[in-house]
Amino acid sequence: MLENFIATISLVLFSAAVHAAEIHAVVKDQKGKAVADAVILVIPADPRNALHARAPAAAVDQVDKQFVPYVKPIFVGSTIRFPNSDNIRHQVYSFSPAKKFELPLYSGTDAPPVMFGKPGVVVLGCNIHDWMIGYIYVSETPFFAKTGPLGTAVINDLPAGEYTVRIWHPSMDRAEESTNQHLILTADTPGLAEWQIGLKPNIRVPRVSGAATATYP
Amino acid sequence: MRPRSYGAAAAALHNLDMRCLGPRRFYKATRASVPALLIFCAVSNTARGDWVVATAASVSHDDNVGDARDYSDRVSDFSASGTLSMLRLIPVGESYSLIAGGDLSGQLYDHLSGLRNASIDGLLSLKKKWGLGAFAAWSRAQVSVARSDYEDSYRDVTIYRASVEMGKRIDERWNLAVKYAFERRAAAPGAPEIYGVSSDAFSQTGRSFTANAQYALSDRLSLALGSLLRHGDVVSTTLSEGQYYPFAVLKAAAPDPAFGSEAYAYRLDGTTYAVRLGADYSLTDHSLIGGGFQRFETHARGGNNYSNSVPQLTWKYQF
Repeated sequence: MLENFIATISLVLFSAAVHAAEIHAVVKDQKGKAVADAVILVIPADPRNALHARAPAAAVDQVDKQFVPYVKPIFVGSTIRFPNSDNIRHQVYSFSPAKKFELPLYSGTDAPPVMFGKPGVVVLGCNIHDWMIGYIYVSETPFFAKTGPLGTAVINDLPAGEYTVRIWHPSMDRAEESTNQHLILTADTPGLAEWQIGLKPNIRVPRVSGAATATYP
Repeated sequence: MRPRSYGAAAAALHNLDMRCLGPRRFYKATRASVPALLIFCAVSNTARGDWVVATAASVSHDDNVGDARDYSDRVSDFSASGTLSMLRLIPVGESYSLIAGGDLSGQLYDHLSGLRNASIDGLLSLKKKWGLGAFAAWSRAQVSVARSDYEDSYRDVTIYRASVEMGKRIDERWNLAVKYAFERRAAAPGAPEIYGVSSDAFSQTGRSFTANAQYALSDRLSLALGSLLRHGDVVSTTLSEGQYYPFAVLKAAAPDPAFGSEAYAYRLDGTTYAVRLGADYSLTDHSLIGGGFQRFETHARGGNNYSNSVPQLTWKYQF
């Protein structure tokens, strides 16, 4: 009996390993330059492939009066801690419909974690340092990744099957649904997804004020 | 003279300025700074705020440094200035921030060596944000005391300023602010030289209203438009002594040898209108360069109307 059970488990694990597939994603801008901080979303056609996904805890730090990382993708239902590595106080907030919250002035690791239970984009700010901005992408699918400085990302350990892949970026000039691509993944060949997207100018509150405006923060 | 607070200059040339001013000037400026520094340190240790340290340098050209009415009295010159600012930003509650700190600055003139000056400025301001986030309206009340020591010491002055300011960032591109300020410049007058007329020509009182708008053209380039309305004392310097103004409008008169051995400065009531057009380009997240052009038109009593055009280049770095 026990031997049969172990054999069955081994078979299941072996099958899963054999059928694990992956996607290599590349994102470039309209000039062909690599786009970092693009979120790659992999949506299985068969919802059963996304069962048993966990929502692990994550963190968005504050370093040198900036959110680190600038873009953080998470699975819906995840909690995020907001440690403050600066030796000053920050006041983190979001007005976004996906998650409205405010962490009153704090330093160190005093702030309680925040749970993100609704999919969408959450824009972070600091009420003391207006130039600080960060993004949390709350994903409906557990399969996602973020491009690095080379504009590439790999999503692995995917069950073989049919998927829709798309991307999101804070400066993208189009809706994320318009970037949909369909892939059929097998264990033998990694799927390849490439995008060339237009980026809007990333106009942000400047850290240094100009001569004709208020000098002090 | 026009108020130095408008179009304020900047300062990596500070050390150079200190050398040019000589040890006596430097000592005076340093001595004046001690009380301000003590207050500054005391405030900065009271709370866990953050330091804002910035340095700036600028060069500018003024086509009428002495604010002269007549073309023959106009003196133009280049100047270079530098500022080192150290401020402590202390959040107080959820809506208020206290800012305490000061500036060290210096200004060099190409030809008018008597106008070289070193200044120290201490300030305290309270800012309130009327809401949460970068686009919330804000207001600020500020007081400051500055001491400026000139190469020609008869121009040495202590400057008291108080201001209230309001602003709002409309969106990522538009940023608006208005400011009302009172300024008192207290100089030590010399002996009277004209019977019945005060010699306190370099003490001035004025009130000003400024409005500034900034528009971001791109992620690095922004345009700025500013305007100023100021009413109060103005000082106009002529290159030769003479009866330029009727006694009825003359508030004070004194020799002004920084402009020449025969030069005379007259203090009058006047109104100044100014506009500033500028552009700032962000080199990095911490630094920018900017270019601007300011035009001043002053109408003073006694028919003393004069103008100034001041192009300026600025570099600024904020740590």
